[in-house]
Amino acid sequence: MQSRFSFLRRWEGLLLILLVFVVVYNALSTPGYLTTANWINLFQLSIEKIIVALIMTFIIINAEIDLSVASVMGLSACTMGFLYMGGMPMEWAALMGLLAGVAAGLFNSFWIGVVGLPSLVVTLSGLIGYRGLAYLLVEDRSIGNFPAWFNRLGQQPLIGPFPLAMIVFFVLLVFAIIILQYSGFGRYVYVIGNSKDVARYAGVRVQRTKMILFVASSTVAALAGLLYAARLGAVRGDIATGFELDIITMVLLGGVSIFGGSGSLWGVLLSVLIILNLRNGMGLANLSGHVQTGVIGVLLILSVLAPNLASSVRASWNRHRARTLEAGKTG
Amino acid sequence: MFKQSLKGLSLLLIFSVLLAACAPAVAPAPQAAAPEAAATEAPAEAPAAEGEGVPMVLMPKFLGILVFDQAYQGALEAHNEIGNPAQLQFLGPTPENSVAGQIEILTNATTQGVKAIMISNNAGDQIAPAAKAAREAGMTVVTWDSPIPSAEGEQVFVAQVDFDETGTVMADMARSILGEDGGKFAVLSASPDAANQNAWIAALQRVLEQPEYANLELLEIVYGNDQSEDSYNQALALVDKYPDMELIMAPTTVGIAAAAKAMQDEGLCDQVKVSGLGLPAEMLEFTLNGCAPEFALWSFVDLGYLAYHVAYKLATGELQGVEGETFEAGRMGSYTIEKDPTREAGLRVLMGPFTVYDASNVEAAAQ
Amino acid sequence: MNAIRRRFQPEQVRELVLIALIIGIIIFFGTQIENYFSPRTFTRISTSVAVVAIVAVGQTLVILTRNIDLSVGSIVGFTAYVVGTYLAANNDLPPALAVLAAVGIGAVMGAFNGMVVAYGRVPAIIVTLGTLAIYRTLLVEISGARSVLTSALPRWLVNLPPVNVFSIGAIDIRLLFAVAVLVVIVFQLIVTYSAWGRRLYAIGSNPDAARIAGFPAQRIVFTAFVLSGALAGLAGFVFLARFGNITVVAGQGIELQSVAAAVVGGVNINGGIGSPFGAFLGALLVDIIDNSLIRWLAISEFLRNALLGLLILLAVATDTVIMNRLRKLWSRHELQVATGQAPTEKGKGHRAV
Repeated sequence: MQSRFSFLRRWEGLLLILLVFVVVYNALSTPGYLTTANWINLFQLSIEKIIVALIMTFIIINAEIDLSVASVMGLSACTMGFLYMGGMPMEWAALMGLLAGVAAGLFNSFWIGVVGLPSLVVTLSGLIGYRGLAYLLVEDRSIGNFPAWFNRLGQQPLIGPFPLAMIVFFVLLVFAIIILQYSGFGRYVYVIGNSKDVARYAGVRVQRTKMILFVASSTVAALAGLLYAARLGAVRGDIATGFELDIITMVLLGGVSIFGGSGSLWGVLLSVLIILNLRNGMGLANLSGHVQTGVIGVLLILSVLAPNLASSVRASWNRHRARTLEAGKTG
Repeated sequence: MFKQSLKGLSLLLIFSVLLAACAPAVAPAPQAAAPEAAATEAPAEAPAAEGEGVPMVLMPKFLGILVFDQAYQGALEAHNEIGNPAQLQFLGPTPENSVAGQIEILTNATTQGVKAIMISNNAGDQIAPAAKAAREAGMTVVTWDSPIPSAEGEQVFVAQVDFDETGTVMADMARSILGEDGGKFAVLSASPDAANQNAWIAALQRVLEQPEYANLELLEIVYGNDQSEDSYNQALALVDKYPDMELIMAPTTVGIAAAAKAMQDEGLCDQVKVSGLGLPAEMLEFTLNGCAPEFALWSFVDLGYLAYHVAYKLATGELQGVEGETFEAGRMGSYTIEKDPTREAGLRVLMGPFTVYDASNVEAAAQ
Repeated sequence: MNAIRRRFQPEQVRELVLIALIIGIIIFFGTQIENYFSPRTFTRISTSVAVVAIVAVGQTLVILTRNIDLSVGSIVGFTAYVVGTYLAANNDLPPALAVLAAVGIGAVMGAFNGMVVAYGRVPAIIVTLGTLAIYRTLLVEISGARSVLTSALPRWLVNLPPVNVFSIGAIDIRLLFAVAVLVVIVFQLIVTYSAWGRRLYAIGSNPDAARIAGFPAQRIVFTAFVLSGALAGLAGFVFLARFGNITVVAGQGIELQSVAAAVVGGVNINGGIGSPFGAFLGALLVDIIDNSLIRWLAISEFLRNALLGLLILLAVATDTVIMNRLRKLWSRHELQVATGQAPTEKGKGHRAV
């Protein structure tokens, strides 16, 4: 336990150093980077993904996965657009969009918690199915012309320079950190992620915890979908397609183990900041989209590989030293 | 304790070396571009003085597709002819991240002080807020190939062809392939979200209502999502679903090629023909062997060339971007900014015309 | 009945449950779609499943070791493009060499994954999520936006898809489908009868125990990734033959399709359970549903994906419920008989040790 904990501390330290490196590099090499407007942009351009990354952290620490989040984002945005087009007031349409997300979450939870199917299968079906539902609603239309207040929420600053989505992100971040790192529920999430059986023997209600998490996941995703719709001012069937892999990448780079039980929101927060700043810096340096994803791919691998290699080198060095010491003693 | 931090430091060193080693290795070209981008930053603050040049960006729907590269060739040709001392960047997102990526590039361009951007819009109206923000920051926003449907945030759309004419051209090709007594056909489109394809298909449907096309029957519209696999399977499914179908009309380069290959593989070319919008190089084989006897397209090189002229002239104030203005676009001659009949609020510059390819001219165009 | 119980384990009849499900689905669509029971339907589905089936076999090998390979989609695209470009420039390259090149390129890409996973001890999902992006980036960078063109490819390749190996009555067995079936059979035999195959299961069911037992676990995991890459390379060649025109988006999404095929086919994502044949049935199941839905006149274009997701979920749920029943039946029976002798479920893996 002790060693695992120190490993984590080291990981987050590593991420922090990397972040500083990226920020300094950008600041020195890219004009226009160190402006308030750019920093707001840098968050705004991916704000929906990082909101969902918060709840995805819970899911992955719990040793599960939710591949359906991007499709749920699409479903909620399209539900809202469809109802608004049908004449429903925007407030109610948005609420129904959110409820569509809750419904998707309950559906996922049922198959995972009650029937006991693996979350990978359930949410993979959800990835296809919820996207299908979104298309069923909007078909080949693009629905826009939302009320001005709605677009303003997505596109204009709300408090100071901060738009609504950023405020939502920071509020959720604080909540998530309190719940995951400092509450009993958070401890259950880790315990279950470490070993379902141990958790069950210890009296943790494993299924219930999982079901709560999957409903929460879809609900947050639905909220993110609505925010995305407000930022773009229009919805289409393909809205948010493919976001799931970016979101999972953020969580994994944050040091959350895909096998569950370890990782923290601090790490995820750092990884989010690294990815956003890296993308922004590369974008401002006019690197193409492919190179950006490629570099993040390299970073993802290196961030785990480098510490592992270092520890291997250290271990072999220690072995070597032990052997020479041994030799010295006997000799 | 000291040792611990020493280890941390060495790790950081390894990391930064690795990172530094990777970044330029993956993309050597933009490294050279960086100082120039920095140099153009200075005039961005001062009002664009004459002779300082206009930094411009050409943005395709996504990278890796031949026609967009052809458009870049055309834009580069205009760039060199005009002698704009600033840089012309060709920046695009990845195919799987097209919508978010286009918005990101547009927003970053605003931050960088780029003066004019030319967008082949793949995000529909979703790009409008970012385009409006760019306009407010003083950037010239021109669309080409695919417009912003609401025209919000866009000054002028450089249209490859008249979107209504696309419907007529497709209907005419269908009539020419099916013969005077007409027949049944289906449309294999890109994705349901593709604004261009949707507009063209809508135009086709309007044309079909006219009496002289009464013997053409459109059975169904299906989507292949611009993926070879989906398009190939959809084409065969159409054949199975409608035994009396004689033609598949695919207004997308990926769809038409995949459908033609499917008909060829299954030996169906005598029974079902393929037509639509395609690239001569990709369609060569199928046109010569009769699977796709006729298809149409326009020149993407010319489109890029014209888009550059429009964007440059708007950015330098030579054009104001109002209806009725006339200008000279280098080797392509004289054009007029006019109301876009297919979009209420939009202005357009119409390039045209279509080239219809068949066995007689496809080989020359495929080179 | 007892003899049957003793002879088979629930895990072994899993494939039978899947086959029953597939037959049920076919019968259902047969009542809905005109002319469904025809040799044509067989040809359509068998040719369209080939690419994913080949990739899914490799994916299964990797998942059996409790890993995952998400980079396969990019490997398929990369090999299809590179081999296609080379063939377009060198039309007289012998076909065998072209296939070998595709498999070789795939194997090298898989070897990189395997090296970092097995020897660098980096979780497979991180490595392959990374290489999914890296291999695609490489492809875009080297392509310079040029496509592989059908007209430039050698004739034998363009004319490959309709080639029949043999026909059973009116049913044609196409070469590309036969290749996929051959791959499935070969790897099914390997994982069932070879020592390497049994160790694959042992590592997946209990990596620590396998290590303690002295298996060269790293080498086995490495080999699984190399094979997955090589099979993705082979699939890339099939992809090239089938579509001719290859752009940089080729093969996108195959990674999720292959994972779906494997898990629908009963391959446990936590390793140790499943088989290449099961994954093949999974791929077939998904493809049959997909290809039938696009031929079902009652279903609109827009309803299709919603139904596809639901049907996949229902198929897996049915499979799971039946399997759970069977397991209960078996274990109750085992309790009744002598407790000591009956091999437990776990025992299968241990016997391999």
